[in-house]
Amino acid sequence: MRLLLALVLLLATAGPAAAAPPGQVDVAFLQGEQVVTVTRPGTTADQAVRALVAGPTAAEKREKITSTVPRRTAVRGVTVAGGVATVDLGRRFASGRKAEVLSARVAQLVLTATAIPGVESVRLLIDGGTPLGLFPGYATKFPITAADVRDEDVPAPEKPPKPADKDPSAAVRALQDRLADLGFLPRSGVDGQSGEQTRFAVMAFQKWARLDRDGIAGPRTRAALEKAKRPTPRTKGSGRRVEVLLDRQLALYISGGRVVRALHVSTGAPGFATPAGRFSVFRKERNSWSVPYRVWLPWASYFVGGVAFHESPDVPAGPASHGCVRVPRYDAQWLYDRLPNGTAVTVLASS
Amino acid sequence: MRIRPAVATALLAGLAALAAPAAVPAQAPTKTPGQLVVGVAMPAAGFQVGAVRGREVLFAKGYEIDLANALAGELAVPAVRFVQEDRFTAFFQPGPKEYDLALSQVTITTAREAVIDFSAPYFTADQAVLLRRGLVLKRRRFSQLRKLQLCAERATTGGTQAKRIHPDRPVRLFRDPSRLEAELYQRRCDAVIGDSATLGALRAQAPQRFGELAGRIRTGERYGIVFDPGSALKAPVDAALARLEEDGTLGRLAARWFSTDVTRLRAFR
Repeated sequence: MRLLLALVLLLATAGPAAAAPPGQVDVAFLQGEQVVTVTRPGTTADQAVRALVAGPTAAEKREKITSTVPRRTAVRGVTVAGGVATVDLGRRFASGRKAEVLSARVAQLVLTATAIPGVESVRLLIDGGTPLGLFPGYATKFPITAADVRDEDVPAPEKPPKPADKDPSAAVRALQDRLADLGFLPRSGVDGQSGEQTRFAVMAFQKWARLDRDGIAGPRTRAALEKAKRPTPRTKGSGRRVEVLLDRQLALYISGGRVVRALHVSTGAPGFATPAGRFSVFRKERNSWSVPYRVWLPWASYFVGGVAFHESPDVPAGPASHGCVRVPRYDAQWLYDRLPNGTAVTVLASS
Repeated sequence: MRIRPAVATALLAGLAALAAPAAVPAQAPTKTPGQLVVGVAMPAAGFQVGAVRGREVLFAKGYEIDLANALAGELAVPAVRFVQEDRFTAFFQPGPKEYDLALSQVTITTAREAVIDFSAPYFTADQAVLLRRGLVLKRRRFSQLRKLQLCAERATTGGTQAKRIHPDRPVRLFRDPSRLEAELYQRRCDAVIGDSATLGALRAQAPQRFGELAGRIRTGERYGIVFDPGSALKAPVDAALARLEEDGTLGRLAARWFSTDVTRLRAFR
């Protein structure tokens, strides 16, 4: 069944989405780092909240549309008076401890309820009581508006501090040279100083060679580096393009059939998987505000829904994001500058 | 159900008389028989968060909530009810309280001991420094902190410490912990000084929102459960705490709610 998937991106800079067609309500789910709305039959805030709790359909899930609202959350009551929807939910809605997930839950609820004509804000109750400290970042003592949810209430990030210089070593320089020859490290990173950038480049190589991802150039990694060749594209294509290899947690930047760089990245964690398929970059933002998770995403290039390449201070060896492709700060701007709108992005589940 | 003070006092006196001096009483002498009423001041990340209607707590979770439930089990009191106290300072004001005891990271001090009774300590804490995102300290020196806008919760050890570090520059104090958290997140505070366990829990639940937990300030505070002066509950609660310590319950609860090992943080000098 091809469903009514009115995928409207509620990006931070965009205004409220157009109202749902008559007899339909908008429900706010997530894809990557942003909110997407889908429609469901109904007209009331109560119906919209129940549809939110019911979660995405199987077809929506295949498109990696997710929800942070726990299924089977009890809907104890939804009443609207004076523009305020009082939504009383069971304690399951407050389960878990990750602030970002709890924030996203509130964002989904508020954007869903305030999409109903006449509802301007949401007073959230848990088991009939006012939440205290259950949803970090939201003043739940007061009704919350859609503007509160979209508010970029944190100054845009500053440039991350440069790590302290160390004494350069010839051995490190030789390792870096080899990594740069193979496309795992930019030439500018060959400075003889060991550090995070080199560790990430070693890890990128280990991911490509399917070795243990510890970022340390031990005997096995060094032996493999000796024999290694520059990575090759996994798919056919022309011009400048990117392949994201979900199994290897690598992004290949390809130009003219040659892999220019193989980047250490981290994609969507289980439950937030990055969708596989062929896409193209459609939106670029120097600093993009994640509405549901309330964080800044520097150097963001969106390629499907709310899924983007963006800089992150935390790029572990495995999948860890909400669906986006996290890029280390050493490569984030470099990649951003090379991905104009229309650049092809192929996401492969298996490479 | 709230209970009138006169009735409560009579009840208390009656039950206290029944309590055998050495052995644990079959059921501890609570103000309402069969119900342990616990005062809290939510929120405090890791220790106690929840939902309230007026002062009635409808849902709560955290280390101190689990501890209260464990104590009730030890005291053979079948029900636990939590009551929200909006002002933390109310715990150590003189005068009768509607709750049997209060659990809210109250540091045992001599001044407070003049007004209220404390249990044996159930938690030892230092103060810690949580930085705003984007800020890095080169050294763990108090002189580094003097360059920063420090913030803390009002009427807490954190506030006292911040003022001590920064005698000339006003420390920003907040009554509401959520507000304090928001100010740090929005970078209107450079650093928050507060309970090491709470700040550790806060950092762990939102690593993207804050900078690093930069270090600790050794204070060795001990948190005690607060009772009315002369409360007959103090002895059985102390005995129960000793049992919970001995059988490892306190350690398990701490591990469950505080994933960050703050004792490994370097200390400021």
